[in-house]
Amino acid sequence: MIRAVETDDFENLSRAHAENPFLVLGVDPSATAAEIERQGQRLLSELAAGLDGARRYETVFGARARTSELVRSAIAELRDPARRLAHEWWARGLAAPSP
Amino acid sequence: MGSGIHVGIDLGTSNSAVALFDGDNVSVVTNAGGETLTPSVVRVDARAARTVGRRAVRGLDGDPGNTRAEWKRLMGTGERLPFEASGAALLPEELSAEVLASLLADVRDAAGFTPRAAVISTPALFELPQNHATTRAGRLAGLEEVVLIQEPIASAIAAGWRAGHEGSWLVFDLGGGTLDVSLLETADGRLRVLDHGGDNFLGGKDMDGALVEWAIAALDRRGQAGGLADRTSPRGRRLLARLRMACEQAKIELSRAEHATIALSESGIDGGGSDLEIEIARGELDALVAPFIARSLTAVQGLLARNQHAPGDVARVVLVGGPTLMPALRTRIGELFGGRIAAGIDPMTIVARGAALYAGSVGLDATPAARAPAPNAGLPVRIEHPSVTADLEPFVVGRCLAGAARPDRVRIEREDGGWTGADAALSPEGSFVIQVRLERGRRNAFRVRAFDRAGGEVALATRGFAIVHGVSIGDPPLARPIGVARADDSTHIYFAKGTPLPARRTFAHHTVRPIAAGSGDDALAVPIVQGESNRAHRNRLIGMLHLRGLDRDLPAGSRIEVTLELDRSGQLATRADIPGTGQTFEDVAFVLVPTATVEVAERELAAIGRRAADVQRRTFQLGVPAAVQAIGDVSALLAEADRALPAARAGDVDAAQKLHRLLMDVGGALDEAEALLEWPDLDAEARRCKLTYTPLVAQWGTPAEQQLYEQELEAAGVARKRNNAAELELHLDAMRALGRAAYCRDPRSMADALDWAAAHVTEAMDVAAASSLLDRARAVQAQHPVIHEAGVGLRALRAIVAEIWELFPSPPELRAKSFDSGIR
Repeated sequence: MIRAVETDDFENLSRAHAENPFLVLGVDPSATAAEIERQGQRLLSELAAGLDGARRYETVFGARARTSELVRSAIAELRDPARRLAHEWWARGLAAPSP
Repeated sequence: MGSGIHVGIDLGTSNSAVALFDGDNVSVVTNAGGETLTPSVVRVDARAARTVGRRAVRGLDGDPGNTRAEWKRLMGTGERLPFEASGAALLPEELSAEVLASLLADVRDAAGFTPRAAVISTPALFELPQNHATTRAGRLAGLEEVVLIQEPIASAIAAGWRAGHEGSWLVFDLGGGTLDVSLLETADGRLRVLDHGGDNFLGGKDMDGALVEWAIAALDRRGQAGGLADRTSPRGRRLLARLRMACEQAKIELSRAEHATIALSESGIDGGGSDLEIEIARGELDALVAPFIARSLTAVQGLLARNQHAPGDVARVVLVGGPTLMPALRTRIGELFGGRIAAGIDPMTIVARGAALYAGSVGLDATPAARAPAPNAGLPVRIEHPSVTADLEPFVVGRCLAGAARPDRVRIEREDGGWTGADAALSPEGSFVIQVRLERGRRNAFRVRAFDRAGGEVALATRGFAIVHGVSIGDPPLARPIGVARADDSTHIYFAKGTPLPARRTFAHHTVRPIAAGSGDDALAVPIVQGESNRAHRNRLIGMLHLRGLDRDLPAGSRIEVTLELDRSGQLATRADIPGTGQTFEDVAFVLVPTATVEVAERELAAIGRRAADVQRRTFQLGVPAAVQAIGDVSALLAEADRALPAARAGDVDAAQKLHRLLMDVGGALDEAEALLEWPDLDAEARRCKLTYTPLVAQWGTPAEQQLYEQELEAAGVARKRNNAAELELHLDAMRALGRAAYCRDPRSMADALDWAAAHVTEAMDVAAASSLLDRARAVQAQHPVIHEAGVGLRALRAIVAEIWELFPSPPELRAKSFDSGIR
């Protein structure tokens, strides 16, 4: 029997995908490891210095707040080749949703 | 940041050490006795005076009732260790605090200040309660800030931070009580932890134990072991402690010499007062420790196999811990890895050195000056930069904090004169971003200069800053996933393995049962678990958030937002918000590492033995190779538990704890095997999910749902091919969620749901309420004989069905399994 009710899972899934590391860092899925690290470190410094431009990022679900936790988590996720592959996939899909 | 002094501490089972990093060099601090290692031993005398380290070690022999050692395995438990003469009973973390305070005093004597912050290392296999206890020990010792680092990461940083080695590393850390093996990788100067393995109950202490038994047998053959006939008597314990120390000393000597003597002066072991000497050759010791070495290599090979690595893929092996000085062990590891053992590293202090380097990389300045305000003269500027980085051209970000005398542009110069950046204009908000250039492998000091429009220099209130170029690790990674147990026994992962700390995440859940305010039964449980399994009960409960004292009644299905937050030291903060009532709860009960009584452990041992026999029988009947592998160690672990039982019965708390942990490990292996045996069912479920949900999502899903579903479906396919049950379960959960969300747009789904509810109404938590809702639904159906997609009738029915489902909670047995979780 399928329980035909909307659950939190979809909301939580959307939330997780809005936190795609490529979106959080504002880098292209083809970025090199060094570019990702450098951009991540730059964002962390900008957030720590309180720069307004660093505090938000764009997603298909709308603008989201960028925090240093999210940035650190994004850097760590992309250091893992297997996880990076999955995030690349999502990032490409999320950047250009299929019609 | 990048300047100051950074303190790293290795809080070891047998010995502890402290190191300092000044941005250029790492030095190990010697204690008052001129040694780099301080024994982790505490003695409390009749007047409650406390002695730590080498002076206390003498008490292990002469005053065992008032001297404690090797309590690290007990960290995180509530077990108080008694000191007979003073009547004091101290928690393991309080004993650790004594050792830490002694190390901090050594730093004060050597460097002229008492550290306010430090990085403390913990074993990779420590769980949250044990990490909590370590942090508490640091605070008790007077530290304002404590950051934890896993020991293998500290070792790898120390071994390779300036060496420039790339590729995979293996850190083999054999301590007094535990073996940690870790696989790491350095790429582009960045260190990453691939995986951990090890054995919680294998250490130098086990080797000492084997040597002690050998020595007793040798004495017995000579008729001189009379005093050890009763090892539990005060005299027997004292003699045994002496013999153990003599054996340990002989073992250390045999690392350098071919022969050694186990010497016991005025031992009284033979019942008299004569001196005893037992000769031992290195070959005899090698034979005694061979089984332990073999076990340690099994752990190494298991870790490599799990990560698809062959020994030839490992570029370097770093050996850590006193027992790794044994030639037999070095030879065996050298044979396995073709001699690629990192040279020139002191295995006894490497962890402390790495911890100090890590303190530098996270900018944890230990000096009191770190809290001092910047010089007043000049314009205040906030400068942000990495303290340690592998990037030769990192960004530096700054912001002028006062607007009045804001300069026009800023310049950064390296103090050695080797590089000067181009002037950067200030943004409207007074900020600047400049990419600086570093000299490879050293500390780079910079000064910041500012100029007005006319080119005149503007004084800045900054001391300048420094960046060290070297291997960077970034934030401490979480060793095991942490999540919340849901009432259906699933785990909602909040932080995956490897998540950098600090971390904070919020997810939405719903309550599974109604709660009446002030009823006495108004506590909703949100269990917090740590472990790899998607099934909650297979993970370890580490904390419990209780929602008590509700303002008003909370119907089943109420939305609740749970936030978990972990700081760098592994401290967990938890919070639940109920948007419907505006109430917030932060009452978290942290779970201690369980210390079951020996009687309970004995019963558990018998039960788990029966379960192991059953799983073994089914495993071989079904012939699932992965399951055979999963239970490979079960017999050995059960045998070890049997061996620990007599000591546990005799009141040895360490043995009791070991017994408990062994039972947990056996339970974990059996869970894993059972999950693998269930693979055919899971595989069938995957096929069923695909057949059920694919057409539903295709017909009723939104474009976003369809896109997500396609990707989950493909990921599930990959997990099936890899026979990865945990991955597959995760993707199936996502497919079900998307399928259910799509299905509820199908007008027929409401009729199906109502038919099912009518057939099962007697199982509802509130039969009257369920019947009433069904009546309402029938009325809507009568009013809208044809239910249209997006029509009024469908919306009304959907709301009613949602209420009905709340009255059919997860089966009680599932909830009980998932630590009585009150949420889904």
